[in-house]
Amino acid sequence: MNPVFRKVQASVAQQALLLNKALTPCRAAPSIRHPVWCTHSVNERQYKGMPTHGIGRWKYLLPKQAPRKKKDKQQMKQIMSATDTAYGTLNVNVSGYDMTVVEHYSQYIHNFCNRLGIKVADSYALPTKSTEVMLMQEQGTKTYVDAVLKTHHRVIQLSTLNAALCPVFMDVLLKNQPEGVQLSVTEHTEADFQARFKARPELEGLIAQMNQ
Amino acid sequence: MQQKKMAAPCGRMASRPLLQFLSRFSSSPVGNTGFRQFSSATVCRAAFQINEAAERANSPWTLVAAVYLQRLPVISADCSPIEQQFKQMLHQIELEKSVLSDHELRLLEDAERMSRKQADDYDSDEEDSHGDQEIMMAQDLEDIWEQKMKSFQPAPRVRADVDKDLTSAERCLADSLVLLAEQEVGDEKLWLLPQTRWQEGETLRQTAERALTSLPAGFKATFLGNAPCGVYKYKLPKAIRTENSIGTKVFFFKAILADGAPPKTKKAPFLWVKKSELQKYLKPAYMMKVERFILDL
Repeated sequence: MNPVFRKVQASVAQQALLLNKALTPCRAAPSIRHPVWCTHSVNERQYKGMPTHGIGRWKYLLPKQAPRKKKDKQQMKQIMSATDTAYGTLNVNVSGYDMTVVEHYSQYIHNFCNRLGIKVADSYALPTKSTEVMLMQEQGTKTYVDAVLKTHHRVIQLSTLNAALCPVFMDVLLKNQPEGVQLSVTEHTEADFQARFKARPELEGLIAQMNQ
Repeated sequence: MQQKKMAAPCGRMASRPLLQFLSRFSSSPVGNTGFRQFSSATVCRAAFQINEAAERANSPWTLVAAVYLQRLPVISADCSPIEQQFKQMLHQIELEKSVLSDHELRLLEDAERMSRKQADDYDSDEEDSHGDQEIMMAQDLEDIWEQKMKSFQPAPRVRADVDKDLTSAERCLADSLVLLAEQEVGDEKLWLLPQTRWQEGETLRQTAERALTSLPAGFKATFLGNAPCGVYKYKLPKAIRTENSIGTKVFFFKAILADGAPPKTKKAPFLWVKKSELQKYLKPAYMMKVERFILDL
């Protein structure tokens, strides 16, 4: 008799448990049997305790970036010096009148360096220089403007160039040089770097005043 | 808009890029420091060589340096049919996508003004004053330019008679040419890249330069670096082989012909050949080693 009763009671208790679990989210008052649900009230949000809390977070996975200062003075990259088997920092200067040809050729050189494994330190453009072609007038002595030619410059800076690779590199560059484009390879100096900046006459005036 | 091609293949103009490159290479001081650095490095190496001369003298190989002198292509190669079609298509697309330029806008304005002038109810006071533009219309400018263009004669790109002359350095302007010289090696006369024997106390590159200057026709060339680009080993036939000479090793150095073709001397044993024609003149074993570093771009 007793086991039967106990079993019946157990099953009834189980059913009561199930009912309670189903009803708790709807019920406002906490129940004594389920302490997990005691912590919340109507005004508190429930999602922080959910297993899926923070499932969409991704920014903490990105690498830490130092905050960028807006006014960062342009630092010059280290100029490598020549060793016994390799040249130092070289500037490959491409210039010409036709901008598309000059740009395409400089892009070709850049891609070629990437393919050969030559490290390209920098790739920039120098300002365009305009040349006015003046022709003498047929009747008078005055010259008039006939055409305006713009010379475009593109510079590719290589950090090092292996001496054994140099003849092959130069050979390919020269063979693929298009018409109307001038190619020159020189060493990079600090004067070259400083020439890219604009002169600031007021600042220089103030510095001169301070030094005097 | 009329496109005046920049790349008109005039004989002198097209060689300008090469001249400029070489002038920068030779005349600008920064370029010179580059050269000076190289020579100092080679001087150090020469010192090393003198110290190791004792060891070197026992080597049974004779060292020879040869110069691979090339004349670069002067004009760009012709496009294949597919390339031509693609070029035309791109040109068409660009034209259709482009916006009218200043000159074309001026043309349209002038045409409109002309038509307004010729209308019956024309009031010249309403017009804005375009003093200069009434004297020289945009259409007149275009006509003047057309005239100038017609009077300009570009040099022909391909000249069949010069192409066949193997001794001329002006043949086949679209390809790069190699200089071949007929030299005596052992007992026979062979066509090969100009070479001379290496002497004690000089670098291999100086030997190559000597090989170039020893040729009767004075070629001026720029060497592209100190490192050789190829090697050819030749073992003497067993009958002649002695303890001290097993054979020769030939090192090749790349050089670019400087502008200014020297005066052609008759009976000079030189040939300017394309890579495809090399096979007719060189021996097969030699050809195998040489064609590895000749770029046929």
